[in-house]
Amino acid sequence: MEVFQALQRLHMIIFSQNVSPCGKFLAAGNNYGQIAIFSLSAALSSEAKEESKKPMVTFQAHDGPVYSMVSTDRHLLSAGDGEVKAWLWAEILKKGCKELWRRQPPYRTSLEVPEINALLLVPKENSLILAGGDCQLHTMDLETGTFTRALWGHTDYIHCLALRERSPEVLSGGEDGAVRLWDLRTAKEVQTIEVYKHEECSRPHNGRWIGCLATDSDWMVCGGGPALTLWHLRSSTPTTIFPMRAPQKHVTFYQDLILSAGQGRCVNQWQLSGELKAQVPGSSPGLLSLSLNQQPAAPECKVLTAAGNSCRVDVFTNLGYRAFSLSF
Amino acid sequence: MSSESSKKRKPKVIRSDGAPAEGKRNRSDTEQEGKYYSEEAEVDRRDPGRDYELYKYTCQELQRLMAEIQDLKSRGGKDAAVEIEDRRIQSCVHFMILKKLNRLAHIRLKKGRDQTHEAKQKVDAYHLQLQNLLYEVMHLQKEITKCLEFKSKHEEIDLVSLEEFYKEAPPDISKAEVTMGDPHQQTLARLDWELEQRKRLAEKYRECLSNKEKILKEIEVKKEYLSSLQPRLNSIMQASLPVQEYLFMPFDQAHKQYETARHLPPPLYVLFVQTTAYGQACDKTLSVAIEGSVDEAKALFKPPEDSQDDESDSDAEEEQTTKRRRPTLGVQLDDKRKEMLKRHPLSVMLDLKCKDDSVLHLTFYYLMNLNIMTVKAKVTTATELITPISAGDLLSPDSVLSCLYPGDHGKKTPNPANQYQFDKVGILTLRDYVLDLGHPYLWVQKLGGLHFPKEQPQHTVIADHSLSASHMETTMKLLKTRVQSRLALHKQFASLEHGIVPVTSDCQYLFPAKVVSRLVKWVSIAHEDYTELHFTKDIVEAGLAGDTNLYYMALVERGTAKLQAAVVLNPGYSSIPPVFQLCLNWKGEKTNNNDDNIRAMESEVNVCYKELCGPRPSHQLLTNQLQRLCVLLDVYLETESHDDSVEGPKEFPQEKMCLRLFRGPSRMKPFKYNHPQGFFSHR
Repeated sequence: MEVFQALQRLHMIIFSQNVSPCGKFLAAGNNYGQIAIFSLSAALSSEAKEESKKPMVTFQAHDGPVYSMVSTDRHLLSAGDGEVKAWLWAEILKKGCKELWRRQPPYRTSLEVPEINALLLVPKENSLILAGGDCQLHTMDLETGTFTRALWGHTDYIHCLALRERSPEVLSGGEDGAVRLWDLRTAKEVQTIEVYKHEECSRPHNGRWIGCLATDSDWMVCGGGPALTLWHLRSSTPTTIFPMRAPQKHVTFYQDLILSAGQGRCVNQWQLSGELKAQVPGSSPGLLSLSLNQQPAAPECKVLTAAGNSCRVDVFTNLGYRAFSLSF
Repeated sequence: MSSESSKKRKPKVIRSDGAPAEGKRNRSDTEQEGKYYSEEAEVDRRDPGRDYELYKYTCQELQRLMAEIQDLKSRGGKDAAVEIEDRRIQSCVHFMILKKLNRLAHIRLKKGRDQTHEAKQKVDAYHLQLQNLLYEVMHLQKEITKCLEFKSKHEEIDLVSLEEFYKEAPPDISKAEVTMGDPHQQTLARLDWELEQRKRLAEKYRECLSNKEKILKEIEVKKEYLSSLQPRLNSIMQASLPVQEYLFMPFDQAHKQYETARHLPPPLYVLFVQTTAYGQACDKTLSVAIEGSVDEAKALFKPPEDSQDDESDSDAEEEQTTKRRRPTLGVQLDDKRKEMLKRHPLSVMLDLKCKDDSVLHLTFYYLMNLNIMTVKAKVTTATELITPISAGDLLSPDSVLSCLYPGDHGKKTPNPANQYQFDKVGILTLRDYVLDLGHPYLWVQKLGGLHFPKEQPQHTVIADHSLSASHMETTMKLLKTRVQSRLALHKQFASLEHGIVPVTSDCQYLFPAKVVSRLVKWVSIAHEDYTELHFTKDIVEAGLAGDTNLYYMALVERGTAKLQAAVVLNPGYSSIPPVFQLCLNWKGEKTNNNDDNIRAMESEVNVCYKELCGPRPSHQLLTNQLQRLCVLLDVYLETESHDDSVEGPKEFPQEKMCLRLFRGPSRMKPFKYNHPQGFFSHR
């Protein structure tokens, strides 16, 4: 029915995006549990028509929303309502939509199935870290599929994860307002930064939750309820506070810039010094995820894609302006 | 010489005076010789040749004598005178002879002439006779030819052929022996026979005539009898009407209807037939009637001469009036428009009765020149309805049937050919006239069997029964559901305006027992107002807010929080759900642009409406949505995280049972109500 479909599209939220290993395709997951695959190369080519901006294939992946996705070199892993599922990229591109496997970490509570908000690949160990509603980080070995570790320490559910390659350490940010660092080898919490306790960055009216994390070995940038702040990890001190009023939901380092997006239409580009370099408006009223396609195999598809509270994925070929939008 | 001739004559007379002249003539020959000269007789005797000779001799003698005299005279002498005298006497004698000869000649001439004359006369007489005879001959010839050519009338009569004649005629007429030989007799006989036959036939004819007269008289008598019978039958029929009604067999009424149906134009006829059939077969609550003036309908089909006369009369009148009044171009155009939009005088009226005794009255009209059908609708209820202010448009005749099928708004004419007709008379769209003429919905055309393929003008009126029949059932069902849903909304609106959300007992399980937020206001707003609201832009852009929809504004309050909800009600309610857009005023203005949870609330009400439909026929959808909205506002306000910097207790203490307050990257509140456990969770 047309009205129903129109209403669905109006109320769609795209939670997660991920680029294929070859770099030519983009997967986007929404709140209805669907995953759509867009062909970036077709949409970016010179003969792009309106149909190129529509998904190549859309399939129902989960019963609940698809909160996060990661890709290995052959698989697409998606997680949402308590389960992580794996799909073969090759099959998806041929429009075959059967999941390869699905796994559910061992949860403590049985009343409500907690969601999985973040997935993180640890390539050295060939494992996957899941974190979400049950306040724990679970590690799953990708080869065997068993859950090896469960790290607990957060008092409220976990929003985001980041990997510090050198150590290797995992950073997690959660609803309780703390960023915790975990050492994977010892499976222990190494460091805790309670962002909201620092006066300069806390914003009580927004809450204390940490919505996004990004790390660059010694440095970490986090945002959410408190202001977007750049931290020096060893000293646990906030070095730069970015003057952004709206809570940010996604942040990432890019070259010498920090890109952030959150409530509000724009993708913000910050200098490391704290200055706002540019604010590029997108088409969604609020953004939830940014994805930079830096796959070496497809240099022509090197774009930034942003998605959030709408059925559209904005494509920025050049960080200065929005080129076009893909839509569900 | 004349005196001599007279002398000569005198003696004739003197000599014959003793006797009558004729008598004298008779005896003249003999007596004349004796008594007088009869010169005529002498002429007969003498020979003209000898007289001629004598004449010549005398002339010679005379010449000679004259010459002698001459000689003598010239010679002179004494004896000459005597000789001359002698010769003179001789010449006198010769002269006498000459005279006589002259006389004789004259007499001969006369005689000859007389003779010729006589002969001529005779000849003339013969000639005359001859001519007379010839004339007579000719005359007779002519007469003969006339007689020969004469055709008697008997030859013009077609007599029966000879063989037949001999076969049929009785022997005393045919008289074969006589007639065979004699053609004259034969013909006579045949004529006789003819006469016989004719007499006989004349007899027969007279008999037949008299028969005919008799029969005509009988017919008259019988006709009178029959005509006296008719009023009696009518009275019997009248008397049987109460019996018919008592037995629920309204044959009379049906019969009259079929009579009038004959005068319906083809599409209305198809509609009438199909709806009566459907009513009899499937749906006893359907009743069909024909309204309008049958005489006018008959008048439309008057023979051309009459209408031409009328036209010429009216033309003459028009000319006069135009000369007097000169109507403006606008008036003429207006008349042309009226003519184009003319309706057929007959219309079909359909009454659909619903379960709760409310009736939908539909009147179908046919626009003759435009070849489309239109419908006017009216809803009457069993009990008097007090219309709440916001429900004004729900049952209004203009909009109650709008969009029965998606997109069928009935403001444009479905016949593409009409556009050309409109251009001629300056009508822009039919929209301006629908209030008067009725709405030309597509389903109406289909019920009348009129099929308009897109982009192709239709010229002939093909009223198709199969098209009508296939749409009949669906359309009737849709009409009924439409009326019932509108009436249900009507009642609900009455309650909503008083701030009470009427949730029926079988939908109570969808909501928690305690709902604190209250509906404070419910009003209808105009389409333009809706599009100008700042939080409805998405709906307008998505094309869900057309001008066929109805718009309302609801206000839900709890404490200091005010939630405005703009509602789009599609005419196809309740199969098409109403769409809500929210704007919360509490600690700032929050809409779906800046607050994810408001988006989630809208999603709960708009997208997850199927759970709220309630039991069929899902008239409870709107009220359930409103109730859910109140519940959502409760949850929102109670689960709002407490701001530590602000002093004082939370305005809304948490009373709802929630497992988790936030979930997911967008930190959604638990809006889903779980029955019967009674706690809130996330989707």
